[in-house]
Amino acid sequence: MNPSLKFLLAVLIALEISFTSVWTVNLALALMGLVIILFSRPKLKRLVLLFFVPLIPAIALAVAILLQSNAGMHFALVLFTRIYAYVFVGSAATLTTSISDLVMSLEQNAHVPSKFAYGFLGAFNLLPKIVSEVNIIRAAGNMRGQALHFWSPQLYFKAILASLDWSENLAEAITSHGFSEGAPRTYFKQIRVRWWDWLILFGSLAALQFVLFGLHLQ
Amino acid sequence: MMKYSNAWHLRDIILLTLIAIFFGVIYWVVGPVYNILTVALTPVGLGPAANDILMGVWVMAGPLAGYLFKKIGSATLGEFLGAVVEMFLGGQWGASTMISGVVQGIASELGFAFTGYKRYDWFSLNLSVLTTTIVTFGWDMIRNGYAQYHVGLLIALFVIRLVSTWIFAGVLVKAIVKLLDRTHLMETRTR
Amino acid sequence: MATISVKNLSFSYPTEDGQKPLTLTNLSATFPSGGFSLLTGPSGSGKSTLMKIISGLYPKFGGLVTAGEVRLGDQKISEIPEQDRGQLVAMMFQNPNQQFAMDTVERELIFALENQCVPPAEMMPRVDRALDYVEISQLRHRQLNSLSGGEKQKVALAVIIAMKADTILLDEPFASVDPIARQLLLSKLAKLQHDEHKTILISDHDLEDYDQYIDHLFVLNGTGDSLKLLDKDAAERKMANFKRQDTSKQYLSLPAQTDHSIIEAHDLNLTAGTSTLLNQPNVSFFQHHITLLTGANGTGKSTLLLAISKLHPYQGTLLLNQKEIAKIRNKQLLQEVVLVFQDADQQFLNVTVTEELALSLKNSHTPEYFEKRLPDFLKQLQLADLQDHVVYTLSGGQKKKLQILEMLIMATPVMLFDEPFTGLDFSSLQTVMAIMKQVAQDCQQTMVIVSHQLFGLDALVDYHVKLENKHLQYVEGLA
Repeated sequence: MNPSLKFLLAVLIALEISFTSVWTVNLALALMGLVIILFSRPKLKRLVLLFFVPLIPAIALAVAILLQSNAGMHFALVLFTRIYAYVFVGSAATLTTSISDLVMSLEQNAHVPSKFAYGFLGAFNLLPKIVSEVNIIRAAGNMRGQALHFWSPQLYFKAILASLDWSENLAEAITSHGFSEGAPRTYFKQIRVRWWDWLILFGSLAALQFVLFGLHLQ
Repeated sequence: MMKYSNAWHLRDIILLTLIAIFFGVIYWVVGPVYNILTVALTPVGLGPAANDILMGVWVMAGPLAGYLFKKIGSATLGEFLGAVVEMFLGGQWGASTMISGVVQGIASELGFAFTGYKRYDWFSLNLSVLTTTIVTFGWDMIRNGYAQYHVGLLIALFVIRLVSTWIFAGVLVKAIVKLLDRTHLMETRTR
Repeated sequence: MATISVKNLSFSYPTEDGQKPLTLTNLSATFPSGGFSLLTGPSGSGKSTLMKIISGLYPKFGGLVTAGEVRLGDQKISEIPEQDRGQLVAMMFQNPNQQFAMDTVERELIFALENQCVPPAEMMPRVDRALDYVEISQLRHRQLNSLSGGEKQKVALAVIIAMKADTILLDEPFASVDPIARQLLLSKLAKLQHDEHKTILISDHDLEDYDQYIDHLFVLNGTGDSLKLLDKDAAERKMANFKRQDTSKQYLSLPAQTDHSIIEAHDLNLTAGTSTLLNQPNVSFFQHHITLLTGANGTGKSTLLLAISKLHPYQGTLLLNQKEIAKIRNKQLLQEVVLVFQDADQQFLNVTVTEELALSLKNSHTPEYFEKRLPDFLKQLQLADLQDHVVYTLSGGQKKKLQILEMLIMATPVMLFDEPFTGLDFSSLQTVMAIMKQVAQDCQQTMVIVSHQLFGLDALVDYHVKLENKHLQYVEGLA
């Protein structure tokens, strides 16, 4: 499916189930998400994580409803399944799309300005360096007898200073590779929106409306 | 006074995304704190309070971006990009992360918008803290079913969230900005 | 083909209070078309700034041209539209890590061609040819993040070749490039010059290995107000002088049997991306001694120091005081070992010089020792008048001096230094080394120093260990 429309669909589904309370639909969405995830052949570790990570907030919300409100079991179940639907539908989108395909689609199909597309992509590709820079900042603190925690201003201050440096380097390099804001570009890989992309989008949304409002599942 | 243009250039976009990713990576470090807190509070039905206790941490990027870039939309864009990054890293909230990102971004943006993007001081920052707390709480009333809680708990959660947001998105952001302002690097390096 | 002409150029980075101190003052020079020119000068002289002005990146990304101009052929560089510039001039940057927008090698090349509006059908042949030219076809689908410094610079050159840039600028391109990759890059550049008449300009403070390639040697002085083309004799003399640092006849002793090892490695394996940097059966660094660690760029010296500081993963055994470093908690380890980073900015945590020093004094192992001597040290290092200065806007040399001083103040048992002497002028170098020696003795420290600059080091260091062919070995010679 076209990456832009895929993400639009995922967000619209998430938005709609936030405002509705049908646990069977949430469950069905989560299951469909899971099937798509399984087709992308994720690593076992990733899959296990996908099941366990949402478990904590899901249980927390469900238990809170049971103990702290009069809404009862049904609503607890709604919240529990809602979180799984969020995560599995979201992962079904992220695990089947590379970030560069998404960015290219946003540029070509959604007409997001190319400076946003490639600025974001260039920065995102520095992720591993950012992880090690955070470690270096914390190490620099420890070496001087000052532990840096997530509430320490210096941690963020140093991160922003590094970002200032890197953003200049990267923007210069991208410009040096011929990129110019607003200038026309050609596309090696044409990303198209085909009729079946629209069909999947509107078909899925129509089906969702039908099960939510047409079937009276409650 | 420096003149701030509202146009986004390649360098600004990269800078904002990098800052968002840095925050995302630092949140990653906070992740376990959230999980431990949630697990500890769940048996008495107060698990969601962990979300409110740490809310300030999740919403810091917005006011910081607003303060740093002083452009219309910077707080929203900062939070939204942070959310996209978080979703690709495999965050706990999946597809709703992007919605939350927009909600949180607009929430903190409102603080600056109410002052007409003219004031960037302690007042506008506090205003942003207030709008952030109110708007994100409204969103959690819907998304996480807060609306069903007893009134007492609801008030308690709101107060916890307000305090958390004030500490992180207010006091801490101010401290970070103060350090940065003293270096003058934002003015001399980005314009 | 185009001549680069710099005419009465002055350039400034305006400060926050509106002043415009000149980084480059009234420079004029002509870099001949189709020539291979090397621009040298001490670090901090403004080579990088000049390169970025020539490439058209400045003043767009920083600073202000206060007088003069740069022309490419008969066109002013500032008047060439950005999207046409790529075919005229392209640049390879000093830091190989921050010069790509995309995730894989092939995509980055395609990205550059898309920017030039090359028709999609012509892209693949150009990509194939460029990768082939630099002999990296096998890297085509690799993630850029997984490449070594040398490989990344090869990709950067491939991008420039694919873009068919007429003038190629390289700003200190070999800082993290291993010797084999460096030779390959230089020979490919020479080939581009001869076969395709490209104009090539490299800036580098290190002159080694260039003599067989370059046609012209330009020197920018330390204060950025004189840019000269050396004649043939003067150029040859300068190159020859650089090679002989007069350290060839200096000898050190080898570690003695009685020395007590403080850091020990057994079957240590260090990797970067997919390539092995170090494969070491046994080696030690010795307590209360100062050891110099040398080796070519990109061979893993910095990585070793990072591994000892638990900032880079390793396989095998690496012990500090008989304890496995991977198992020591960060906080505890870094109270025993500090790493003086190559990039001074990474070390600083606060804003002003005073605050930096105060933090070190507060948490020092021996605060009384330094409280007494600090005013004197500051005076010797010419930092005394800079106390309220913002550390991030100090000059390169001042940053380095402050950084070394604040880390010495911590007085940890082990200190690791990564290129501590870059950017120091002659007298600062002498002072810094004297202070390091004094503190090491008084506070009974162990030091490991990675340095390219060897001049005068015989007075500071006890031992010399060389990293060559993925192996560390103690040697007697200094050079």
